[in-house]
Amino acid sequence: MDMITIHNLKKYYTNPVIGRGSKKPVVKALDGVDLTIARGKFTAIIGASGSGKTTLLNMMGGLDMPTEGEVIVDGINLSSLREEELAVFRRKKTGFIFQNYNLVPTLTVEENILFPLDLDGAAPDMRFLEEITELLGLADKLEHYPDMLSGGQQQRVAIARALAAKPPVILADEPTGNLDSRNGQNVAGLLKMTAEIYHRTLVMVTHNPELAQMTDRVIRMRDGRITESQVMPC
Amino acid sequence: MEIIVKAEGLKKYYGKGEALVKALDGVDLEIERGKFTAIVGTSGSGKSTLLNMLGGLDVPSEGSVQIGGCELAHLNSEQATIFRRKQIGFIFQNYNLIPVLTVWENIIFPITLDGRKPDKKFIMEIVRFLGLESKLDTLPNNLSGGQQQRVAIARALASKPSLILADEPTGNLDSRTSEDVVGLLKVTSSQFRQSIVMITHNPEIAAQADRIIRIEDGKIAM
Amino acid sequence: MLKNNNLGICRRLMMREIKFHTGQYILLAISTCLVCMLYTFSLCLGNLTYNGFIFSYKMIYGSGSHILFYDLTPSQAAGIKGHRSVREAVSLSAIGVLSDEMLENRSVKLASVSPGWAKETEAVPMQGRMPKKQNEIALDELTMNSLAIPYELGTEVSLKWTPADGSGERVDTFCLCGFWENRMGQTETCAWVTEETAQKLSSGGQKKQALGVTLYRPGDLERQGEEILSDLGIQDIAFTTNLAWNDARREYAGLKAGRFYRLNLIVMLCGILMLYHIVRLSAAQDVRFYGRIKSLGMTPRQLRVLWAERAALLSLSGLLPGWLSGFLLCVVLAPHVVIGMEENPALYFFRLWPFIVSGLFTFLTTGIACSLPMRAVTGKTPVEAMKFVEKEGGGRRRGKRRRTSLFLMAFSGLSRRTNRSVPGMASLFLSLCILCCIRTMGASYDQEKYLEGMAVFDYLIADASATASIQRYNPKSRSIKEEMYQAAAAHPAVTGIGVLRTMEVPMYAEDMERAQIIAAFEGKDESGTVRKEYMADNPDWMAGYEKMRDKGEYIGIATGVSGLMLEKIMAQNILIEGAFSAELFDTGQYVIAAASSSSELKVTPPAGSRVMIAGREFEIMASVPLEESMISGANSREAQFHVTYYMPEEVFEELFPGYGIRNVGIDIDQNSQEEFELFLEELLMETKADVISVSDYQWIFRNAVFHNCMIPLFVGSVMLLIGVLNFGNVLARGVLVRKKEFAVYESLGMTRRQILRVLLLEGVLHLASMLLFLVPATAAVTWLWGRWWIANTNTWCVTWHYSLMPLWVSIPVLAASALLIPPYFLKTVTRESVTERLRVF
Repeated sequence: MDMITIHNLKKYYTNPVIGRGSKKPVVKALDGVDLTIARGKFTAIIGASGSGKTTLLNMMGGLDMPTEGEVIVDGINLSSLREEELAVFRRKKTGFIFQNYNLVPTLTVEENILFPLDLDGAAPDMRFLEEITELLGLADKLEHYPDMLSGGQQQRVAIARALAAKPPVILADEPTGNLDSRNGQNVAGLLKMTAEIYHRTLVMVTHNPELAQMTDRVIRMRDGRITESQVMPC
Repeated sequence: MEIIVKAEGLKKYYGKGEALVKALDGVDLEIERGKFTAIVGTSGSGKSTLLNMLGGLDVPSEGSVQIGGCELAHLNSEQATIFRRKQIGFIFQNYNLIPVLTVWENIIFPITLDGRKPDKKFIMEIVRFLGLESKLDTLPNNLSGGQQQRVAIARALASKPSLILADEPTGNLDSRTSEDVVGLLKVTSSQFRQSIVMITHNPEIAAQADRIIRIEDGKIAM
Repeated sequence: MLKNNNLGICRRLMMREIKFHTGQYILLAISTCLVCMLYTFSLCLGNLTYNGFIFSYKMIYGSGSHILFYDLTPSQAAGIKGHRSVREAVSLSAIGVLSDEMLENRSVKLASVSPGWAKETEAVPMQGRMPKKQNEIALDELTMNSLAIPYELGTEVSLKWTPADGSGERVDTFCLCGFWENRMGQTETCAWVTEETAQKLSSGGQKKQALGVTLYRPGDLERQGEEILSDLGIQDIAFTTNLAWNDARREYAGLKAGRFYRLNLIVMLCGILMLYHIVRLSAAQDVRFYGRIKSLGMTPRQLRVLWAERAALLSLSGLLPGWLSGFLLCVVLAPHVVIGMEENPALYFFRLWPFIVSGLFTFLTTGIACSLPMRAVTGKTPVEAMKFVEKEGGGRRRGKRRRTSLFLMAFSGLSRRTNRSVPGMASLFLSLCILCCIRTMGASYDQEKYLEGMAVFDYLIADASATASIQRYNPKSRSIKEEMYQAAAAHPAVTGIGVLRTMEVPMYAEDMERAQIIAAFEGKDESGTVRKEYMADNPDWMAGYEKMRDKGEYIGIATGVSGLMLEKIMAQNILIEGAFSAELFDTGQYVIAAASSSSELKVTPPAGSRVMIAGREFEIMASVPLEESMISGANSREAQFHVTYYMPEEVFEELFPGYGIRNVGIDIDQNSQEEFELFLEELLMETKADVISVSDYQWIFRNAVFHNCMIPLFVGSVMLLIGVLNFGNVLARGVLVRKKEFAVYESLGMTRRQILRVLLLEGVLHLASMLLFLVPATAAVTWLWGRWWIANTNTWCVTWHYSLMPLWVSIPVLAASALLIPPYFLKTVTRESVTERLRVF
């Protein structure tokens, strides 16, 4: 059962240039990617910086539009969606964990976690909320504002937010990038655990090979292409 | 051995009363010229604060910092700034690139501020090493995080400072690039007798340092 | 080692910043331009007000020269001309003065042509030319009116004049070769003849000169005049100084100009406020930017240079358009400020200094406003500056979690920027207060009340020989022709018309008849003063009164009135004694007595007594106070004390046949005012008869209202414009600075429409909260100020009229911007994809 299907995905863009010559170099961030990700699996995307891994993740999350090719998530072809539908898709189908957390500074931890649900006007499952905040060690921080939390705690809020709407797909962009290795291990462990508990499909961009070891499958990228896809032994 | 950085009784407190936060709580430190020092510690332990103090970017609540025998507290803000841009190369965690300047302009910015002529050959060498040749005319906003970080590294090296302070310079780089960057830092530092103080999370990189300083709760842990 | 600052980088950074934040810079440049315009405008206006006053004094005085020296020998004149403090001198050799009594108080010198003097005194013929041939003469129109000389070149003119050598009055005949229109009330002027004519007339006697001198430094003219004379060792020479340059008048002119100069302070306050406001919106961002470049080694000095260049660039971009628009405005409004000049006063009094000063002020204003983020950075270490977050008002709520609805988001977004919009609000409030107060003031001026009080007739035509009090009425004058009266009477729009003719008549009153008058003047009023004492400073009146008291002889003014004239006299006035009957009056047996009196005093012979006028006996039917709007008919010094006797016009013509019409009063149907005025203009084209029309009063009234309201109206409007621009800017920036915030929302699944709804809600809430303050505050301020003004103004023609019209007009504009600006900028902000925006610094 495939959760995500990607077909011949390309993303080119030209850099605006200031001064010193007028040639506009075309950057091929993604140059023909084909990929399928099975339901309920934990996949890691690794590669050098600039290899296109974040771009690929953004495409899966409907945050960016491809130059060519298609992305199908949970049976929905993203290129067929209009602007408004895409936003609804994002909040219902995906939970995105950003490298820099992207918490809303004017909302409390609890409000941040429930933000995607509130946008939908859906009633939150409060028992589920209690469960995940307990699990992520945020139960006593719910009234706090993000800037009163440490980096690790903010990262955990971002994870809780990604889980709150119970999306089938969780996309994480270097969720441990700003954490030291012990914290990083913990967060990745948490992610893996929650994904397993709630049967979520988890895709994570990382450059930490140790974290990649914890996954079901590792995809290696270079220059906008997939160079290697390795299924990890259990 | 010559001492390049000397910190005595360094303290930095924020807030008052119950909310008092001791970011640094009495740090004494000496760093020798030409050495590679790594600072490690958990997040929030005061590593970044210490680095900012050493570079004169922030003023300690108490204590003094001397760089190359020059007491930073004795300089006025104009002098301190000029001293800093000549003597210290900074690599910031969030890069601190100037969005309105191109990559090339960013790299030579501290030199331009000084009114000096950039050593083009040397800088191009660094640029090539960091794989930025094709990006020189690009604006920082169009670069990936890793590329931005490399621009920041190039900028810190470009003015051949005697001290390089780096705040997790490899945080956004994959491990191979990280190693390359650290390698570059080591090569240039030995070439120009530069001292490096680097905050890192990466134990492999820390292992390459001449000396590791561990910070815990605003103090140096023995 | 601590030098070597490269300042060139500052310019590059600045230019790049402009390129990246073009919108903000354009707004700043527009605002700077507006500020410069206001400075230029008020300074230019102040300058021309001052000079306009001096100019009008000069005109009244009759000469532009600072000092006039009289009776100089040619060598003395040459000496004064060469004196070091004299810049220019014009000379005049007069052979005498015109001495016709019709000229009354005016002094007209008969002199040989002096082009310089003619230019200084504005006595250059506009019709015809200066005399060139024997016996030719050029005159001014006032003199011609007084002497009833027709406006035809080549007319034979007989003039009574008194030679300067004391040889006694004589009459000579000249040929009119040119004339000019007088500027304002010229009391002194010249009648020009050629050098040869002058020689012939003065029979070759020693000629004395008068010299008009222009000094390098006009100030303390008396002292300078004496200095010149003592320097040259000349004694016993009379000189007069030009009153226009007298210190008191200059001070007064300065006082009048002062209010325009004071305006600059308000302009500066507003200018700083508005530029500050624009800068403030991006201040936090700027502080972080400056912190960042500071951390890279930019020194405070370089930062200051960056600031100075920014301010200089803004000033420069705003300067030229500001100067131009300010000056243009001045050109448009100047004729309303300095009234009665043919040239545009703004061009006539053009000076360079207002432009230089306004340029400096503009730079100062932008400098102060731009220094804001710079000041915030100087006290901070680079780390503090980079982490700088503006203190946000509100936003943080305590208590139980509520669902994050769009309304709550809008509310928190709004409260986050309340303190940021305070300066914008202040300028809106200030401008609306000014405008509403001015509107209330303007609306309170009551034109009906004014016209009722001022314009007794819709049109009052007066004979040309007696329009000004400095002249004397000439009964032979025919500037109002009989057929003109007939034509006017026949016009369909005319609802009432009447004529007035006057004649001074020597009269005699019996003891009994004059007793009533004497009792009134010898009696005491409430304050205990004998009433005649009030006239003590008018010796001619006293002489006339005493003559009447002692001998019974006095001057009566026979005044023939018809139609509308009689109606007005009886309608406007209260009968002091007697009773009026139109039928009896028409029989020609009766007259109505009238005398000038402040109260209802009986200062005429009593009703029922009989008077002899030009050999005919009349009975006084009634007595009324004198109707002041018509010409009194008193011309001579003897007639200062007089009693007016109104009689039917036909009776007057029987008694004094062949006398010209002095006044025609006309009332018309108000609906055909325009048409009638065209007709009247055509009718009177040929003559110099003076018309005071209702439209003159209307114009005077409107102009006075406009003059009173113009300056605050203008400043208020510009400030309102600024306030609205600011409001729009707040809305636009509110969207632009949150580019990344919106990207975060979108990445979390918020739709554009939801964001737009939040923005619109924010705009509406913002507007509502502003209006919640603005409407009651402005209404209260306007009401309080208006009440105070009504109570304290010395203008009589006001009726309280409370108006908040500017407020109601501006609300839809503000509402439109609150609803239109956010969607527009949201569109530009969301042009890039979510990921691109998330990466923004």
